[in-house]
Amino acid sequence: MTKVKSLADLKAMREKLQSTLDVREKAENPESLVQIKVAMATCGIAAGAKQVMEHMMNKASELGIAAVFTQTGCMGYCHAEPTLEVRVPGKDPIVFGHVDNNRADEILTKYVQNGELVEGIIPVNYETIDK
Amino acid sequence: MHVLICGGTGCKSSNSLQIIENFHNILKEKGLQDEVQVIKTGCFGFCEKGPIVKIMPDNTFYTQVKPEDVRRIVEEHLVKGRKVPELLYMNPENKEHVSDSKHMDFYKKQIRIALRNCGFVDPENIEESIARGGYEALAKCLSEMTPEQVIAEMKASGLRGRGGAGFPTGLKWELCAKNKADQKYVICNADEGDPGAFMDRSILEGDPNSIVEAMAICGYAIGATKGLVYIRAEYPLAIDRLKIAINQAREYGLLGENILGSDFSFDIELRYGAGAFVCGEETALIHCMVGQRGVPTL
Repeated sequence: MTKVKSLADLKAMREKLQSTLDVREKAENPESLVQIKVAMATCGIAAGAKQVMEHMMNKASELGIAAVFTQTGCMGYCHAEPTLEVRVPGKDPIVFGHVDNNRADEILTKYVQNGELVEGIIPVNYETIDK
Repeated sequence: MHVLICGGTGCKSSNSLQIIENFHNILKEKGLQDEVQVIKTGCFGFCEKGPIVKIMPDNTFYTQVKPEDVRRIVEEHLVKGRKVPELLYMNPENKEHVSDSKHMDFYKKQIRIALRNCGFVDPENIEESIARGGYEALAKCLSEMTPEQVIAEMKASGLRGRGGAGFPTGLKWELCAKNKADQKYVICNADEGDPGAFMDRSILEGDPNSIVEAMAICGYAIGATKGLVYIRAEYPLAIDRLKIAINQAREYGLLGENILGSDFSFDIELRYGAGAFVCGEETALIHCMVGQRGVPTL
């Protein structure tokens, strides 16, 4: 182990290490971040939700979007898997269906970054009591 | 995803280490070992309902988890994204399960200052502390401030002792700094004897690096090059973790000779107490550490 020699070194080290705690740091304060819930029930997994989620996570960090990804159970839209719910702070959640890698990119660049709506929106017919 | 499992004394005594092992094994079996990180943390402060398993980023808070529950948590929650309701914390008032720690009354009003890293980082890995800004205050003191400025800052902060007397910390440091001596020592009083009081233990077990850093800052301010931690021998886990932190800090050049490339050197040793209540008192503690009877100076 090379020794840390200065404050600048220590800060550089912190920057490098910070990503290892990313998942935990974001969880401290999820309301202020973009929350993306991916439906990962049998139907979602079979339709490739896991690959899309991985792709989207990479893309989000590439674009510098602070987003929390969680998996959830079946949202009831098995006909439109993979589905995911995107909650931008201060806005109502929107559910997107038939999300493949391209649409995932679109959701991030168009909807999350610029507020434009993209194809594949499923009208939300549920409410969460968890407020 | 990160799985945080409490490795504090309370949860450890109710088998949390077996839970950790089961997580490793089952995740491996499912091929998820690279996607899910398993971290042994310090105390979550909820020992009553231990062992605690917390899943991040959704803050799911599982209580009284048994080693045989691990398979269900992995198969249901980590693979399929469905929480295991029976293991969630139950609100004692309405008997409802609470989905995550953000909605638990116990945590709602908490603002953690001293214990900010406890239950969040792996206390046996200094890199997690550094990732949270650990040792930056020490680095700042050594590179940008004189000892007098450090003391002035302490006074301005209004920080006081937490032992009951509430003695102003800045004033204490100033008095020590003015005192002339060949060798000065920083003593960390980690003797804790009041029934049911475990705050020293929590911080030593959950975030030992903050103690190491704080002692070094104090040493710089008062002109001491040696630090001693008086800790009771009944705290084996706290002792282990503190030793690990001290060794790792030495390796990284954050403790020992010429800390962070400066002229300042500081090192820490442990002294064990036998658990006498009175040895938490300053003068009795010092008597005990030099090998005399642990009685206060009258």
